[in-house]
Amino acid sequence: MDRSCAGRHDSARVPRRHASARRLLPNLLVPIDLRDGEPTGPSLFALSEGRRVAHVAGATVYAIVMSDRELDGAVVAHLGRAGADKVLLCEGAGLTGPALDATHGAALQAAVERVAPLLVLFPSGGAGMALGPSLAARIGAAFAGAADLEAIDAAGPLTDGVGRVVLRRWRGRRAAYRRLDPVEIERPVVAILAAGVAAELVGGAEIDVDVIACAAPRANSTSELGSEPDDDARIPLARVLVAVDPALGPEAVAQIAAHAPVGVVVVDGDGSAAAIAVSAPEIVIAIGDVEIAAMGTPHGRLGAILFGDGALPPRAVDVLWRLPATAPGTELWSEIGKALSAFAAKGVS
Amino acid sequence: MNVVVCFRAPPPDPEVDTLARADLLALGHALELAAGGHQTTALLGGTSMEAGSLRLALAAGVDRAVRVAADDMTGTDFHTIGQLLAIALRRIGADLVLTGVRSDDEGLGAAPAAIARHLGANYVAGVEEIAAVSAGTVDVVVRGGGRKRRLRVRLPAVLTIAAGPATLAQRPARAGAAPAIEVIPLSDPEATVVRRRTELLGRLEPASRGVETVTSAAALVAALDRR
Repeated sequence: MDRSCAGRHDSARVPRRHASARRLLPNLLVPIDLRDGEPTGPSLFALSEGRRVAHVAGATVYAIVMSDRELDGAVVAHLGRAGADKVLLCEGAGLTGPALDATHGAALQAAVERVAPLLVLFPSGGAGMALGPSLAARIGAAFAGAADLEAIDAAGPLTDGVGRVVLRRWRGRRAAYRRLDPVEIERPVVAILAAGVAAELVGGAEIDVDVIACAAPRANSTSELGSEPDDDARIPLARVLVAVDPALGPEAVAQIAAHAPVGVVVVDGDGSAAAIAVSAPEIVIAIGDVEIAAMGTPHGRLGAILFGDGALPPRAVDVLWRLPATAPGTELWSEIGKALSAFAAKGVS
Repeated sequence: MNVVVCFRAPPPDPEVDTLARADLLALGHALELAAGGHQTTALLGGTSMEAGSLRLALAAGVDRAVRVAADDMTGTDFHTIGQLLAIALRRIGADLVLTGVRSDDEGLGAAPAAIARHLGANYVAGVEEIAAVSAGTVDVVVRGGGRKRRLRVRLPAVLTIAAGPATLAQRPARAGAAPAIEVIPLSDPEATVVRRRTELLGRLEPASRGVETVTSAAALVAALDRR
């Protein structure tokens, strides 16, 4: 295990254009989200996605873990089996808590300085919105708030060994796609992936851990006064999100949720709007007149169940089921709930 | 304390003065702070045709409205937008900057971080409550790591707003007419360093997806899960 001291990292002293913006190496960095010491499902999915395209790109997949202590061997093995080639452990006081730019930004910067990235792939529900935009701003990278990772076989590897790995994202309101190719723009791309499911464990359990010793963050810029469990914590981790119009009543949410398999989250579309807005589920189902604020990805699918002559949501839907205005009721909620069980066959995180 | 609410999104309907939902949430918090006696300013980068959000903010009770005159912000990357708005924010003098989580056009949510970097300000994403304000700090509520956290953030700070008051706070009616929208021109020598790097947005591709109509819940799920 290599242990070295990165010293103090002060974001104000970071060069305007970071070295990684000029030197694109085929490294895929995946910041891991740990809950109760275990990597989240979307974190494992992000690693498996990295592994999937790494073969084409000739890339190395690094799992970045920020913590105040050494990693448990079982966690390292888990990350390896999910697809990581190596683990970069940013070790420092206060890094085990939820990520904020003020407390974790410098540690992530240290990891990026150690391993210059082609892509930094945040898992859904992780630190992507808290750390991703700031990291991109510091290193002059492109940013994609909710994206799919793709490998382009036809183009083949470039002469310097960098393969064509691209990210695709929606423009707002799903009007068009944007394709981001880090080789084409000659800069790294920082992205948040959708909350998918790792299809299979593809890597080996025996992988190296490099440790970066990180100094304490700048004092007093942000401090925690208190915290409580987040009732909506499962929303950004869900592969399938069902958002129900609150006008249909709480019994609609309760009855549909009663049948939903693990990983399919059924919520009141208004009451959980804040958590929905920062989530990136693979599949979203809107029931009734509910605005979908979640950013899906091009691989994702958006379904709507509308009653009467209700207008389509502003974001274009992929699948529509239109029912009479008199349809809402126990029988319908039961039918929808039972249908959701089909998602369990594929597996959910 | 000077509170600036940054409108990033172009209006959903250019024919009508409207606010995107993300901007409305940020404005809601700004007006609540205004009710506590803080100076509030609405800021937009865009053309005069896109200034409807500023007119609405003035009508709702912000003290000032400032437009950074720019031809086409929709094709501009977030680094440039951040630099552009940071120049304006230095002119205005901002202690606390509030923005929506993400804009409606590109939907990235990265410009606020670029603003914070250029201002040397703290950056906190996904704020749901601004609970209290004291000299030099602001208390906020955010979610992260399975926790709902109350944080004290030192100013200056840039906050992106994920949730807000259901309705805009009503301020006492202004004596006299609403102030005019102030304009900061791009011809400003300090602003000419701004460069547009449209390639950072990515290559635009058409989205040719139709709507599949189904007649049962099972068919809906099957169609959504199809690969």
